[in-house]
Amino acid sequence: MRKIFVDYTRCVACKGCEIACAVEHHPSRSLADLVGDGRTQVNVRVLAVEHEAFPVSCRHCDPAWCMAACPAGAISRDPVTGAVILDQARCKACGMCAMVCPFDAIAFKVTHASPGGRETAFKCDLCSHRVREGRLPACVEACHSGALAFREHEEVRRDRATRNLREYLLGERALPDTFALYRELRRKEFARRGEPAP
Amino acid sequence: MKVVTVGAGVAAAEFVETLRNEGFRGEIVMISAEGFPPYSPCVMPFFLAGDPLETAYWKGADFYDRLGVTPRLGDPVVEVDDGKVRTASGAVETFDRLLYAPGSKDRYPEPSWLGVHGVFGFKTLSDLTAIDRHIRETGVRRAVIFGGGFIGVDAALALWHRGLQVTVVHRNNRLLSRMTDEEGGKFATRLLAERTGIEVRLETRVTAVNARDGALASVDLTDGTWIETPLLIVATGVTPESGPLTGADQGVAVDEALRFDPRVYAAGDVAVTPHAVDGRPGLYALFPNAVEQARVAARHLVRGEGAYPGSVDANVLRKHVDFPVVSAGRFEGEPLTWQDADRFRRVYLKDGRINGYMLVGDMAAAGYLHRLYLEQTPAEREVSGLLSDTAGTSYYRRAVGLAGR
Ligand SMILES: Cc1cc2nc3c(=O)[nH]c(=O)nc-3n(C[C@H](O)[C@H](O)[C@H](O)COP(=O)(O)OP(=O)(O)OC[C@H]3O[C@@H](n4cnc5c(N)ncnc54)[C@H](O)[C@@H]3O)c2cc1C
Ligand code: SF4
Ligand code: SF4
Repeated sequence: MRKIFVDYTRCVACKGCEIACAVEHHPSRSLADLVGDGRTQVNVRVLAVEHEAFPVSCRHCDPAWCMAACPAGAISRDPVTGAVILDQARCKACGMCAMVCPFDAIAFKVTHASPGGRETAFKCDLCSHRVREGRLPACVEACHSGALAFREHEEVRRDRATRNLREYLLGERALPDTFALYRELRRKEFARRGEPAP
Repeated sequence: MKVVTVGAGVAAAEFVETLRNEGFRGEIVMISAEGFPPYSPCVMPFFLAGDPLETAYWKGADFYDRLGVTPRLGDPVVEVDDGKVRTASGAVETFDRLLYAPGSKDRYPEPSWLGVHGVFGFKTLSDLTAIDRHIRETGVRRAVIFGGGFIGVDAALALWHRGLQVTVVHRNNRLLSRMTDEEGGKFATRLLAERTGIEVRLETRVTAVNARDGALASVDLTDGTWIETPLLIVATGVTPESGPLTGADQGVAVDEALRFDPRVYAAGDVAVTPHAVDGRPGLYALFPNAVEQARVAARHLVRGEGAYPGSVDANVLRKHVDFPVVSAGRFEGEPLTWQDADRFRRVYLKDGRINGYMLVGDMAAAGYLHRLYLEQTPAEREVSGLLSDTAGTSYYRRAVGLAGR
């Protein structure tokens, strides 16, 4: 199956992926409607790890730990895209999935898909509805720095991939000068302030 | 080949579904003491809190039809012997292979209490539908839960969510005593009482139930006081339902393929299995273990191979509230603790590896911790950073470091 790979050395923390994801998963699909909407669902987070920025989301493990742990039958695999899908309508927010997800890719809140205004778990759905139509996941399409890529994941590495994030890191391409400069500045800025960059 | 299951719960349903996924086309009969499609006990408290009953049928209400199963419901198995099972009604079913998965049953301090209208267990969907009916029919506003372990607290939260005034009576000095050490448990107990308004009576037991016209009126406590209530839920512990197979209630010992003997597999709350990390045999009565055991047993039946990697005792209570209590492993070794007003986190280290942990209040980095624990990765240097990690970046910090840039 195709999965999302990350080259964090290219991530400039612009958070374009977060915004594209929020729009894609908003009932109105409109950027303007995100403003002040507490139920907005963002399935990718750009984490600040010291001077690095790291876009984090579900890795669609196979077998998936979360799926085996969900006692509500809320997590299943999309037969076409292979994505691990969390159906918020069936979710009870019991936390079993989040307890075992090795990538801490599951969060909780009241979203537009939560039934009865109750908190539910939510996570990346690989934009399965887009992928079925031959399009890219919204975050990948929105990433202009090349930090996210949607590509075939080797079947033979399946088992390691349920545990090891390095399976999803890209790094074989040389970094352009502008990126190298940007990274150096961020590192310096981080060292100066002694706190995580945004 | 004809396959029979004793029980139609989590393990039995997962077993049957795996058999069919593995291509098994033979006859399957599921025998259950109750009359429902397979249900998830973890989810049924939400029914009591107001969700539709169907949401407890986690594999769908059409399970028996969909998987081509003959259900024999509402008739408990009382004996398994030499390729046959006998039920309470006297019916006999023969089998070539059996999955024995009747789970566990409530253990009541005083079995006679159950004769009083208004006293219930909290173990089966039959219990919960009866409680629901009682609340609706008599307009119950008040409930006492005897037992503050996982199931007792689960019951308390469901009824609290429904709007009842709830008191939990627990003999230990903290709730969830098996999931916590003393300090963590007291922290969790305080959080629960403060955030929900559920009344907690610790180091206390219910000694007697008092009926008026056959219906519960009040309960007496060890401290000499009593509480007027029309509803008492008894959740003081469970016993594996191994009697019909082994003649004793110690659980069912199985081999690495979950076999009790060459024709009988056992899985779920009734099975005695080794712990995945330290190998100690025990009853690890949790949903994910029941599922994994059922899958291993079913694949073994079809393919004749496969071994169970062991059970995990990681559990989380996060129902109707947004402050989870997570715990796994043994609370032995060197404790490392981080806490603030809303959160308590503790890891027990042994030989530099995680031996057990507790997280109260939130779940940031819970999954990463779970993995370090399961894989027994040397974690001494990482743990303190992990404990104070409020953003959930620990894993990625390590990945970035390891990537060597
Ligand atoms: C209220 C509650 C909340 C829970 N919450 C969680 C949670 O959040 N997370 C978690 O990991 N675990 C939880 N558990 C535990 C989890 O539900 C069990 O570990 C799991 O259901 C075990 O599966 P099983 O198939 O062994 O038993 P069950 O799912 O209990 O199924 C046993 C079946 O056998 C039937 N039966 C019983 N006796 C007989 C007999 N003599 N003959 C024929 N049939 C019989 C029963 O009617 C039932 O259908 C909870 C349990 C309860 C009671
Ligand atoms: S990364 Fe986590 S949420 Fe995604 S499939 Fe794996 S276990 Fe499930
Ligand atoms: S939080 Fe929701 S999706 Fe996760 S295990 Fe519980 S019910 Fe399933």
